[in-house]
Amino acid sequence: MRNPLGPASLFLILSAHSSLLAAQAPPDLERERSDFTRWLASDPLSPFAIVALMPIGAGVSVGPEPSDILIPGQTRGIARESGGGAALELPSGRVVLPRGRPVVYEGYRLVSSGLPGKSVLAAYGPIHGYHPPRYFPYDARLVFTLPMEQPERHGAFRILGLDGTETEAVEAGSVSVPIGGSQSRLRVYRVGDPDRDQESELVIFFRDRTNGQGSYPAGRFLELTPKSDGSVLLDFNRARNPFCAYSTVFPCPAPWPGNAIAVRLSVGEQYGPAGGGQ
Amino acid sequence: MIAPILLAAAMISSPAGPWRAALDLAGGELRFGVIIEDSGGPLRGRLCNGASCQPLSGVRLTGDTLTLELGDYAATITAAVRGDSLIGQYHNVGRKGPRSIPFRAARGRWEISAGGPALLGNWNAWFESGFEQTPRVLEFRNGAAGLEGTVISNSGDYGLFVGRMLGDSFAIAHFDGSFVYLLTGHLAGDTLRGTFHAGLRTQIPFVATRSTGQSQLTPPTAVTRSDTTGAFRFAFPDLEGHLVRSDDPRFHGKVVLVDIFGTWCPTCHDAAPALVRLYQDYHARGLEIVGVAFEATGDTGVDAPLVRRYREKFGIHFPLLLGGVSDADVVSAALPQLDGFTAFPTTIFLGRDGRVRRIHAGFYGPATGPQHEAVVAEFRRAVEGMLEER
Repeated sequence: MRNPLGPASLFLILSAHSSLLAAQAPPDLERERSDFTRWLASDPLSPFAIVALMPIGAGVSVGPEPSDILIPGQTRGIARESGGGAALELPSGRVVLPRGRPVVYEGYRLVSSGLPGKSVLAAYGPIHGYHPPRYFPYDARLVFTLPMEQPERHGAFRILGLDGTETEAVEAGSVSVPIGGSQSRLRVYRVGDPDRDQESELVIFFRDRTNGQGSYPAGRFLELTPKSDGSVLLDFNRARNPFCAYSTVFPCPAPWPGNAIAVRLSVGEQYGPAGGGQ
Repeated sequence: MIAPILLAAAMISSPAGPWRAALDLAGGELRFGVIIEDSGGPLRGRLCNGASCQPLSGVRLTGDTLTLELGDYAATITAAVRGDSLIGQYHNVGRKGPRSIPFRAARGRWEISAGGPALLGNWNAWFESGFEQTPRVLEFRNGAAGLEGTVISNSGDYGLFVGRMLGDSFAIAHFDGSFVYLLTGHLAGDTLRGTFHAGLRTQIPFVATRSTGQSQLTPPTAVTRSDTTGAFRFAFPDLEGHLVRSDDPRFHGKVVLVDIFGTWCPTCHDAAPALVRLYQDYHARGLEIVGVAFEATGDTGVDAPLVRRYREKFGIHFPLLLGGVSDADVVSAALPQLDGFTAFPTTIFLGRDGRVRRIHAGFYGPATGPQHEAVVAEFRRAVEGMLEER
């Protein structure tokens, strides 16, 4: 304790130095990205663990050859919709597949999701084909706080969400983003979160000139942060790929009408041959 | 490099004591309390909304990193200990990836701040979620920890909210490790305008007017209906694996309450003591109660220990049965005579002839104050009335 500031100040210098080297993304974004990378690499429901995703329709068979969803094992089950949810009928009885909750079957995880009448069944196994996500360098000029303009469309409709399953959305409004010397008007949807009661996200699915040239060809998702004065924070550095970028098992959402930006936005998540998720 | 690290570690003070904690949501600060106890063995802790505290399932200090584990929610708070402050993240995982919310704390307790008379009482609110307008009742009162209240929907209340009032503005919050709720707003004459914050980013605007006594919510007895042409039927295994059926002799000619609950459901925890008291007071006169648990996995090996712990926590002497997975569809399939099941808990009142007399969806917990007392009294009256029937 001769000089209590000694080690502390040394730490400050070291940490300031290392953050300069890492350049760019603020610490909270860095942490978000490392959490996400760890989740992709290790979570049992990581998009890299999916082996099949199918509409349940009149019934989907799950088990050894010949089944709709191939899972090694001895028994075959049939997943059917029932009472707004889904259940797996097995020779030994019936197992309910509660919406959004994994049920372990022969070492795989089955998850039913989707809106009633249009349920889909996903099967997750060992993680395969994993690549860590890569990001463009951080660019503070692509962070905007903008007012929300009134929606053109009213009432709920269905869209494909980040994970390619159908989900309910409403148009929350639009934002005019000053990029490349002009204003790009982007539609903002409010998308419900089936996992968390009361919660929803303000989301933009957008395309730009990096699509297919460094970023995912189908476009990228961006979750907005509402501010207390009614404006929203748009940070294009947080642009992320739909799950179809990690596994072709996921359907890719179609671009939203209008949301095309006529310049390159070289920020956010990348996609490409250097290992960025294909 | 080694020497400075050791020195730095040696300077970390014990995290024991009370902390003024906050989650920084996009639209405001959600205040709560954390109390860390160090009695020589492993650290222990509690998470508090005002004076209402629940134990943390684990507290660990590794180097200068404090980890608080939040029970069954697969959620954690990790924070760096920096002298008299904690800086870190609340963290949990969903299907679309991990989610974190900035967390910070300073030593001490939040100051007690009471609400003014213009705010206290009941308000009829409309929440505009973007998808629909939904009715809610907001309640404000002053308690031991200052301004407190709750938000009530058609299926029950959102738990105890605690907070503060400054001028015409107020903020009350509820954080239990899973639900992240903050209600902020201000008085403008006889109107209340504000925002209900859920999680990091969801903000639902609301407008409320003072309640005139008439609630705009659907009465709890009008939410779920049932076929009353014949006796209500159920058959589920108890925790020891024995099938318990509605036509067992023990229920014959008795008044029966079937309580549909889950150990994961905070409102069910609020309702359990009231049911235990009813059973104590009326069992000798012919009341039977059966709890049917709908749990996270539907796997007896996992669910039964949770339900056993619930039974011990509340000193329950009536049978608790395992109904399956906690999903409204599963409940509807398991009890096909019900129509419109939406809420945990739901209490089904069966007369001596086995037919449904009344179905009460949800429960007003102690956080709702007078409404809690009213629903407890209503349950007693209903049971007494049915016991009179011959």
